[in-house]
Amino acid sequence: MDFTETLKLAISAIWAHKLRSFLTLLGMIIGVMAFMVVFSVLQGFNAYIDEKIAGIGSNSFTIQRFNFEDFKDTDTIAEAQRRNKEFTLEDLEYLRGRAVIMEKIGAKAGGNRRTLKVGNETMEDITVDGAEPIIGEIENVDVAQGRYFSDAENNNSMRVAFIGTDVADKLFPQGSPVGQEIDIRGIPYRVIGVRVAKGTVFGQPQDAFVQLPLKTYGSNFGGFRGGRYLYFLATAPSDALFKDAVDEARNLMRQRRKLEFGEKDTFGIVTPDAISGLRDSLFGTTFIVILAVPAIALLVGAIVIMNIMLVAVTERTKEIGIRKSLGARQNDILKQFLMEAATLSAIGGLTGLILAKIIGVIISALFIQTVIPWYAAVIAIGVSAVVGILAGLFPAWKAAQLDPIEALRAD
Amino acid sequence: MYRFMENESGTQPAGEQVVAAGAKNLISMHNIWKTYQMGVEELHALRDVSFEVAKGEYLAIIGPSGSGKSTLMNLIGCLDSPTKGEYWINGHLVSTMTDDELARIRNKEIGFVFQTFNLLARATALHNVELPLIYAGMRAGERNDKAQAALASVELGDRVMHRPNELSGGQRQRVAIARALVNHPSILLADEPTGALDSKTSVEIMALFEKLHAEGNTIIVVTHEHEVAERAHRVITIRDGQIEKDERIK
Repeated sequence: MDFTETLKLAISAIWAHKLRSFLTLLGMIIGVMAFMVVFSVLQGFNAYIDEKIAGIGSNSFTIQRFNFEDFKDTDTIAEAQRRNKEFTLEDLEYLRGRAVIMEKIGAKAGGNRRTLKVGNETMEDITVDGAEPIIGEIENVDVAQGRYFSDAENNNSMRVAFIGTDVADKLFPQGSPVGQEIDIRGIPYRVIGVRVAKGTVFGQPQDAFVQLPLKTYGSNFGGFRGGRYLYFLATAPSDALFKDAVDEARNLMRQRRKLEFGEKDTFGIVTPDAISGLRDSLFGTTFIVILAVPAIALLVGAIVIMNIMLVAVTERTKEIGIRKSLGARQNDILKQFLMEAATLSAIGGLTGLILAKIIGVIISALFIQTVIPWYAAVIAIGVSAVVGILAGLFPAWKAAQLDPIEALRAD
Repeated sequence: MYRFMENESGTQPAGEQVVAAGAKNLISMHNIWKTYQMGVEELHALRDVSFEVAKGEYLAIIGPSGSGKSTLMNLIGCLDSPTKGEYWINGHLVSTMTDDELARIRNKEIGFVFQTFNLLARATALHNVELPLIYAGMRAGERNDKAQAALASVELGDRVMHRPNELSGGQRQRVAIARALVNHPSILLADEPTGALDSKTSVEIMALFEKLHAEGNTIIVVTHEHEVAERAHRVITIRDGQIEKDERIK
C-alpha cells in the first residue's frame, strides 16, 4: 500500500469524525498557535531592534545624559539626575574639536509635542524635534521628497522643516508639501523634505513628526533644557575602529567633565551592542519560559491524540479484520493508523499556524510587526506530525497485532 | 462478461516453494490438527483431518455448530494455522507461514464471501471491491478498471458509487462476491453466504455461484443449510472435529 493511498485513507477517516477530530486537536491547535504567536512577536521585536540598529548605522553610537544602568531603580535615577549634567552645544564643540578617530559627530534634541496648522487644518500632539544636518548622514535618513537640512539652514536658524508622511498626508492632501508652510506656535516653517514612511511600532506611528534644524529648534522653543535635552550621535570610520571611537568619546567626555580616575561616568554611551545586550538580558530567560508553556500544551495534545487513536482502533476492529482477511499485512495496518495520527496532528499544527498568522496580523496592526519565518512554520507542522506519529505508535501497533479471526468477530 | 475471471494460471507467484505433492491439487490437507488450550484441558477442534480439493471443484462443508467446520474454514482461508499437519494451497506450504506471508496468500489465493458481507460501511461499492487490489499493490487506474469490471459482472455496474447502506442484502452480497473475485483467487471461500438473505435472494446468490463454477472457479461453501450444500458437487460432513463423510453428489 503506497503513501498516497494511505494518506487518502487517513483523511477520509478523519473527515468521517469531523467534530471529534476537531475536539481532539484543540490542545494541539492551541499549543502550536501559542507557540507561533509568542515566537512571531519575539521575532518581530528582534527585527525591530535590528532595524533600529541598522537605521542608526552599525558603526554609530549615541552619547547621552544617562546610562542604561542609571534606570535600575529610583535611587540610581535620582543620583544620575544629580550627577549627570545636561549636554550643551559647548560639549559638542569640545568633542568635535578634539576627536581624531570619530568620523562624524552630530547633535539632536529631544522632542516637544506641538499643534501644527496649515490654513484651517490642524494636527495636535505631533512630535517636533531638532537635528543637525549631518544627522541625515549618520542616521541614513531616507528622503521621499525634497531633501534634508543644509548647514546654512542650521547655522542661520532658518525656519524650515523636514516632516513625516503622516503629517504630509494630513496637512497637504493635494500636491507636494515641499515649499509649503506649516505653522507651529504662530511661526511658519517651510517644508523642505518628507521622509520615507516607516509605519507603526508598538502602536506608535513613526511618521507623525516635524523635524527642524537644531539651532532653529533651540532658539524658537526655549533652549535645550528638560524634554529638549541635547544628545549626540557619532560614527566610527570602520568596524575595526568602532571600539576605539567609543573609547575616544568616553575619554573626551571624562576629560570635559574633569572626572577623577575611578570615578563613574556622568554620561552614557549607547552602542548597538548595548541595545542587543539589553534585549538579550530582557528576553533570554523569558523566551525559554514562554516557549515551554506551549510545549506542555503540545504534550497534552499528544496524549489526547493517543487516546482517540486507541478509541479508533477499538471502534474499527471489524474494519481491521476485514482488511486483514483481504490481504492487509501488519505493516499496512500499522501505516494506516500511524498516518491517521500524523495527519490528524499535522492538521492541528496547520490550523494553529493559520490562527497564529491571523493573530499576528492583528498584533502587527496594533503593536509591533510580527514575523513568522518559513522555517518556523515548517518546524511547527513537522513537530506536530512527529508528535502525532509518536502518539499513534502504540495504538497502531495494537491494531496491527490484532488476530484476523477475533477482529472479524467484533461488531 | 466474466472476462476478468480468466487468466487464473497467472495467480501463482513465481519463486515460491512449490512441491510436486502439493501441486497436483489446489488444496491438500494432510493430518491437520487444531488444538486449543482451555486452562489445563486440551480441546481438539480438528483431529487428523485430511482431504484434497482439485481445481474447478464445487465443494460444500457441512456440519452442526461446534463440529469444527468454522475452524476448518479459518484454516482453509489462511486466517489461522494448524497446530499439526501440512496444508498446501496452490503449491504453497501454508501451515508454517508467518502472519504476513498468510496475509499475502489470502490476498492472492483466497476470495472470501462472508455471511454478514463484511463490507466497509463508509466506503463505496467500488472502493470495497478495490481493497484486495490495493493490498496487492496495483496502481489506481488499473485497479479502478478491474473493480468496475468485477461489479459489472455481478450486475452492479450502475451501483458502483453506492455505499453498503444504500444497497439491498442481495446487492451487498454481490458486492462481496465481486470483491472476492477481483484479484482472481484460486478459491472462492464462502461462509454461510445465504445466512443473512431471504430465500428468493438466496436462490439468486446460489445461481450466481453455479455460474461462477461453470466459468471454472473453484468454490468452497461452508454451511449448515442442506439446500445450499445440495447445490455443490461434493459434500464433506464434519462432526466432532473429524470428517464423517466425503461424498461426490454430482
